[in-house]
Amino acid sequence: MPIGRLPRLQPLRLVLRSWPWGLLVLALVAVRLSKGAVLSDAYALLSRPFWPGTAQREWLQSGTGLELLTRQAHLEQDNRRLRMLLDLQRANPDKLTAAVISREPEGWWQQLVLGSGQAQGIGPGDAVVGPGGLIGRVASVTPTTARVTLLTDRTSRVGVWVGRTQRHGLLTGLGTSRPQLVFLEKDPQVRPGDLVVTSPASTLVPPGLSVGVLQAVDDKAVPAPTAVVQLSAPVGAIDWVQVLVTSPASRQAP
Amino acid sequence: MGVLHRLRWAVASAGVVPLLTLASPSFLKVAGVSPSWAVLWLLPWSLADGPLSGALAGVGLGLLVDSLQVGPETQIPALALLGWWWGRLARKGAPIERSLSLGLLALLGTLFLGLSLLLQRHGISLSEPLLRQAGLHTLLAQTLVTALLAPMICSLLLLLWRRQGAI
Repeated sequence: MPIGRLPRLQPLRLVLRSWPWGLLVLALVAVRLSKGAVLSDAYALLSRPFWPGTAQREWLQSGTGLELLTRQAHLEQDNRRLRMLLDLQRANPDKLTAAVISREPEGWWQQLVLGSGQAQGIGPGDAVVGPGGLIGRVASVTPTTARVTLLTDRTSRVGVWVGRTQRHGLLTGLGTSRPQLVFLEKDPQVRPGDLVVTSPASTLVPPGLSVGVLQAVDDKAVPAPTAVVQLSAPVGAIDWVQVLVTSPASRQAP
Repeated sequence: MGVLHRLRWAVASAGVVPLLTLASPSFLKVAGVSPSWAVLWLLPWSLADGPLSGALAGVGLGLLVDSLQVGPETQIPALALLGWWWGRLARKGAPIERSLSLGLLALLGTLFLGLSLLLQRHGISLSEPLLRQAGLHTLLAQTLVTALLAPMICSLLLLLWRRQGAI
């Protein structure tokens, strides 16, 4: 075998023989150029049984809920402080839980009778709330009972506002299960589904209590547009309510 | 005037009317509206005790049930008139004991009572459609349920009072 041919043939044969290694290198280069796409996919496929489950999601949700509660408490406190600075709400109402001992949500008059009265500090005009929001206001009290006019009663008038468009209105009972909202402006720019809360400028009820949802809007009503409100508190099913007792000093104030 | 008003327990039985009005048992409601308990008590009382006693009982009952409501409307005139009418009816003709006539009298009485409340509330013009709808609903439901209960309750009360009072 001549000497000059060996060194030329040997590397070529070597290269030809090791073609699988070449393929591997090419594959590695491809992986590198694709920024590890195949690796990530393979890892995702393999680790799928060990992905974070529902338990972790619940922890996160409870954490978020706690954070929201803390923020809400903080904002409420802040709001109260600012309102006191503005002298809008003279005293913070105490919440008093009372049992519903008589209920007449339909009929000629819409009213409740509560099992707590003057002896517990309830006075005429106090707001009554239940699960879901405002129910009505105390009309009269005896030493041990209080009579509540529901929002649906014809004598009920409460100042409310639509938070989304920031429009004021007067919630008037009709005797039906859904009271009517009479707007103060010509063009309230509201639509069905808007939330209704008690007016921030109201002196009769604490501000910001949820009342209900707009169900139908009548733009063509004269003298002002009206809307039908579906109340959010189910009066027919509530056995215990909370009376927001205002202190006697602030009640006497105009 | 009959002798029923001399029986103290019979007069005291009127005290059940405000209690039942307050309790408003839900199984006796039609479309969420309770019967008029005042009518259900006043009808047998007037039939048994005559026009004057009926009218006075109507005034007394009216005072009682008015005190339980938040609204400014009153039921006194309607109840007094009904008591007087039913008392005259019993005085003039044969004793009314048939269940159907008791039901019819209760129906007419409740209709009259409801119309008087509607009239006080809206006046003669029932212009607002939503208000009218609510009023008519209550009127019809209360009339129906009172007329349905009257044959049962009124005939029982009438029987009891006639037997006890020996009228």
